[in-house]
Amino acid sequence: MRPLPKFKYHAPKTLAEAVQLMDTLEYAKPVIGGTDLVPLLREAACTPSHIVDLNNVAELNYVREQDGFICIGATATHSQVAASELMRKAPAVVDAVSRIGSPQVRNRGSVTGNLCNASPAADSAPPLLVYDAEAKIVSSGETAIVPLPELFAGPKINCLEPNELVTEIRFPVPPESSSSSFKRIGRRKAFTLSVVSAAAYVEMEGGVCTEARVAFGSVAETPIRAPGVEELLAGKELDSQTISEAAEAAKQGVSPVTDVRGTAEYRRDMCGVLLRRALYTAVGRLS
Amino acid sequence: MEVSFELNGEPVTVAVEPYVSLLDMLRDEMGVKSVKKGCEQGECGACTLLLDGAPVTSCLVLAPQVEGRYVTTIEGLEKNSLMIDLREAFIENGAIQCGFCTPGTLISAYALLRDNPNPSMDEVKRGIEGNICRCTGYTKIIEAILDAAERIAPE
Repeated sequence: MRPLPKFKYHAPKTLAEAVQLMDTLEYAKPVIGGTDLVPLLREAACTPSHIVDLNNVAELNYVREQDGFICIGATATHSQVAASELMRKAPAVVDAVSRIGSPQVRNRGSVTGNLCNASPAADSAPPLLVYDAEAKIVSSGETAIVPLPELFAGPKINCLEPNELVTEIRFPVPPESSSSSFKRIGRRKAFTLSVVSAAAYVEMEGGVCTEARVAFGSVAETPIRAPGVEELLAGKELDSQTISEAAEAAKQGVSPVTDVRGTAEYRRDMCGVLLRRALYTAVGRLS
Repeated sequence: MEVSFELNGEPVTVAVEPYVSLLDMLRDEMGVKSVKKGCEQGECGACTLLLDGAPVTSCLVLAPQVEGRYVTTIEGLEKNSLMIDLREAFIENGAIQCGFCTPGTLISAYALLRDNPNPSMDEVKRGIEGNICRCTGYTKIIEAILDAAERIAPE
């Protein structure tokens, strides 16, 4: 029906080879799961001359703890991350990646690809934002670590130069006193894009919240943190009044747009609802 | 270019352009017609097959990406006891109407019961969330999968 545009295919086996290909080829696109890229190719919305498949680069396939960070290798699929024992320390991430897309998408798509696609609705983004995640960006001779918000340059636009690859997403190992949760609303329950999503992270000591981080998806040009809401929660007991105040502040703090999936007004209201649910679940997971 | 992989237990080598999907390669070059071409966007699940044992939509896989890997379609599971139970449960529960979604749905149901032989109704729904059926309204498909789970349960 719709043929794919012509391109040359490369399957490097090492990162060094992949980096060299990205550096020397004219208009090359990296691919992992292809769950975002292949539909774009079919629509001719993206017409690269070369496809660099990262799936055979064995050194990029891992979920591991290293130097105080939980590290997700570029080709780790959603299924792999969801099943990882290590990721139980970051329950919001598991909430998101175990429900993203469909089983077929989760078996093929990667967390790194989901983030690089930079959709405002990327479900893996809000949980990783609340864990202060960073992206490791590699090009020939250079490695940079950038905070996740910097990777998101705009709706479906990432900050990467044409020859740069994200090889890892990492975040500090969360303390024992922390928990988190991710909640979303779609137009239906199964296999759908989020109309709004929210992630909440809390650290609790003696019933008091010592650190709170909150992020939303699909309410701005990129997935965003909500620092105003975080300040409101820090140092408080997370009782129903505080949580209601935070939910109200979340609604006031976002400026979503109306599109085919939902109205601005609905999205604003749901920010409050989802934040409340996420906070209750995160706190509940600590008891 | 040439792609070598294992299809339903048999080693195969196919000459194919790199910009062809696994789905098109199977249907047009190899005569494997159980994988159906629906949306070509990974949304409908009609082209679902097992890649190294995990269900994926073959319309989103590039042909050269299966080099050295294992591809299984329902043709390769014809004599598999779990697939036989599933197939019979689908027929007896009226879970097939036009049949277009059936091969993909069976693959998803197979992977679900293989990994979780006693799923709850909710787990069944999640297991087939990537397979769209426009005929049955899903009720009979869900009933058939739960029925198959009972059939495979040890006495």
